Amino acid sequence: MNTGNVSYEQLRWSCACLALALIPHLPSLPLWIPLTVAASGAIRLVLAARGRGPPPQVLRLGIAAAAVVLLFLQYRTFNGISAGTALLALMGGLKLLETKTNRDVYVLILMVYFLSLSALLVGDSFWLFGYLVGVCWLTTATLLRLTVSGRGPDWRASLIYSARVLLHAMPLALVLWLFFPRFSSPLWQIPDNGRRASSGLSDTLSPGDITDLALSDEIAFRVRFTGSVPPPSERYWRGPVLHDFDGHTWRRDIQGFATPPALPPEGASYNYTVSIEPNRHNWVFVLDWPAQWDLPHGALTGDYMLVQPTPLLRLTDVAVTSRTRLAAAGALGAMTRQRDTGLPGGPNPRARDLALRLRGANPADGDFVRAVLGLFHNEPFYYTLTPPALADNSVDGFLFDSRRGYCGHYASAFAVLMRAAGIPARVVTGYVGGTLNRFADYWIVRQSSAHAWDEIWIDGRGWLRVDPTAAIAPERVERGLHQDPGADDYASIDLPGTSNWFADLRLRLDAFQQFWREHILQFDQASQLSLLSWLKISVPNESKLALVLAANLALALVWLTWQVRREILPRTHDAVVGAYERLCARLATVALPRMPHEGAEAYAARVAARRPDLAAVVTSLCRRYTALRYGACCSRADAVQFAAAVRAFRPRDFRGS
Amino acid sequence: MTAKPLSGLLRAAGMRFRAWAARRHGRDALPAIILSRRIYILPTRYGLMLAALVVAMLIAGLNYNSNLGLAFAFLMASLAVVAMHHCHRNLLGLKVDIESQIDAFAGSQAALRFALRNDSILDRRDIEIRCTIETTGAQGSGMQSVPAKAQMQDVVGLPVARRGVIRLGQFEMHTRYPFGWFHAWTYVYAPLTVFAAPRPHGIRPLPPAAAAAGAAAVSEIRGEEDFAGLRAYEPGMPLKHMAWKVLARGAEPAVRSYSSLGADPEWLDWHVLGDLPPEARLSQLCRWILDREAAGRPYALRLPRMEIAPAIGPAHRAACLRALAALKVG
Repeated sequence: MNTGNVSYEQLRWSCACLALALIPHLPSLPLWIPLTVAASGAIRLVLAARGRGPPPQVLRLGIAAAAVVLLFLQYRTFNGISAGTALLALMGGLKLLETKTNRDVYVLILMVYFLSLSALLVGDSFWLFGYLVGVCWLTTATLLRLTVSGRGPDWRASLIYSARVLLHAMPLALVLWLFFPRFSSPLWQIPDNGRRASSGLSDTLSPGDITDLALSDEIAFRVRFTGSVPPPSERYWRGPVLHDFDGHTWRRDIQGFATPPALPPEGASYNYTVSIEPNRHNWVFVLDWPAQWDLPHGALTGDYMLVQPTPLLRLTDVAVTSRTRLAAAGALGAMTRQRDTGLPGGPNPRARDLALRLRGANPADGDFVRAVLGLFHNEPFYYTLTPPALADNSVDGFLFDSRRGYCGHYASAFAVLMRAAGIPARVVTGYVGGTLNRFADYWIVRQSSAHAWDEIWIDGRGWLRVDPTAAIAPERVERGLHQDPGADDYASIDLPGTSNWFADLRLRLDAFQQFWREHILQFDQASQLSLLSWLKISVPNESKLALVLAANLALALVWLTWQVRREILPRTHDAVVGAYERLCARLATVALPRMPHEGAEAYAARVAARRPDLAAVVTSLCRRYTALRYGACCSRADAVQFAAAVRAFRPRDFRGS
Repeated sequence: MTAKPLSGLLRAAGMRFRAWAARRHGRDALPAIILSRRIYILPTRYGLMLAALVVAMLIAGLNYNSNLGLAFAFLMASLAVVAMHHCHRNLLGLKVDIESQIDAFAGSQAALRFALRNDSILDRRDIEIRCTIETTGAQGSGMQSVPAKAQMQDVVGLPVARRGVIRLGQFEMHTRYPFGWFHAWTYVYAPLTVFAAPRPHGIRPLPPAAAAAGAAAVSEIRGEEDFAGLRAYEPGMPLKHMAWKVLARGAEPAVRSYSSLGADPEWLDWHVLGDLPPEARLSQLCRWILDREAAGRPYALRLPRMEIAPAIGPAHRAACLRALAALKVG
């Protein structure tokens, strides 16, 4: 093996590998790290191009020390994915700076491999995986170029060779991946929290603050229904329930958290699985009203939120059964009633006056609710995603002055009016609707479907959902009200005459992504055990899994050995010679074996003389053989035809004259 | 500090392993075919680094419960296994043959010529052949790649310090291709003899008693009848023996050489150098032999208990030099 110094070309390719492995990390690294790495690479390359070695050691150590101190100041730790990746990236760049011998490049290449892996610990898309396997391919080819002495294979041959090595590795890797035991809990506590986790829906609502609600197309979660799908008017995905209002912001009731819900759900049930994207919160979006769920530490709060103690930092699948109603209730608990009718005394005096006025005109609860909704419908209230900012008394400002807002404004104002009139009310945030992916039969709920609505307590009927946003007259909806539960969701509507190939493509891609999620990313011990039962192994358990792993590993290794040996064996027979030998063997069965000295033409002549009945066929076959074997033209198709003709040739024993 | 006892331990383990492998294989017939039962393989330092990396990847993948991370870690592990197979097969099925007797001069390198034949359809790269003189520890190695369906010669330069007959019982073939993560090797147990002739050295002329008679006789007797063949021209050869016709055909310059039969040759005699120490006498004899070969004059060699009859030509030269190499003095 050559142990000498690296050439400029090898250095260049090592730089390229490091750069490619760093690309997936770019969004999460502080800018100075990739810049430092790039500068190191550039300096080293310039020096190498002038035929000089690495910069002096004092300088390198100085840079390394400064970089590590900076890194520590930035992260305050070297532990965890983010800090570890940053450190590794930095070390890779500095290693590049001091690269001189092959040994340095070996170390650098191991760093490149590990950087690829750490990108996969954070990201999880199919494309990222494919990209990193590609990086691995190129890196392996670089390594090959490095280790071969003298004039080794050129780049093309190196890439072909390392592709072949990777292909040989695939079956073994697949077996390991399928059957290697998975742990249900991590080996030790992960210090990082999910960097990828999106903010999603927060657990406060202050509609006065936001003046431009970004409609993100990010996916919040996906839902697969088993059995019947609820009608659009029932597809309200319940998230945080807000009780405490200080005149400006709605918050959750942290004290009332632990109390179990009072009323059991009943009525028709819907079964579905919610696949939640990673986020920093700990609640699961469910339909009203969750009755059963499959979440290890999940529990219902007193206001029917499905929560778990820790954030949902990973992709999580939760199977839920929801039922359409709560059991008919008697009276609301005094504490709850007090909480859900409470309003701060100072702010929004005009709203409270309005509520009392309407209440006076409509003493019945139902009439009062209809009156308030009628107000939203008849008065010039507009739905807009760019409402004006509202200062203090935001509800007053919205109801009497601006009259422009999105779901949060309406839900907030509605709840205030209800409470002012003594009807218990709470604001519910979540998502509404969803898009059916008709290619894979599941529903996509995007961040843009976020919504807020209210629940009010009517004595004798219990908690009822009211969506005040739906009351706005359609002509006053300025844009982007996807949440209208009266219509189906926008992306699933096939507009006649419009070309929606793009939407189709998007849905197909998402279907693939969901497949990737369900079958690759979420592959776990349960999937392994069901794989065993699919393999017809009775009573699958972990020890059987280990046995299957061992057996399959043995198979894969035997295959590998065979494959690797097969490539070095000389090809003794090509198809044409094999077919000719078969022809001779068949003729030997009718007592006309070919003599060792006989060429094809002579043999054919002898056969023709002895067996005139076979003369035509044998002469033609032998002529074709000669042409194929010794002639200039020999296409693959001709050889195949010749072999087929020989197979079809079945001489019989000569009978009669 | 710790490196010394460790490397000593490793060397001792290596010796025992070699002894075990030698007992296991027995003698080889040449050409030897490298079969899989005689190929040994171990990870290199870089292979151990890779193993540590794969373990770290596996722990990371398991700890972060990342199926893609695990897939990548398993891919790397499988890559290492495939690399091991490829390293092993780089030696597999090679045919190796060797010239079993090699001539050399003390103080230079013996050129051991190995013929490597690759009958497979796959190129074999970076096959290193190593020879070791066990008594002195001198080592020589040569690296060669053998394309598919081809034969290549690998020349190993083995430094020989002292005159003598060196017998090697074995040689080794090593490879680290591909990736340098693994090191596969094999031993071939075939006898190999290096005749290290004394270093040609000495400025003494041949004593006239022997020289004069011989030289005169040769120049008189030489004639066309005794023509023995053509030899490559070297500077200093008499121009009158130049084979001009050969040169005119565009071939390498050559001189006609003549059979020494019937001539009165020069006797290169060990005993006329009685005043020199033995190795110096051998060096002087060697010098004389080479000079006479270059000049195309027949010569004979007289050593204690041994004589080589007069002649000229490569075979005669080799016989004389081997006699010098093998001579036991003192």
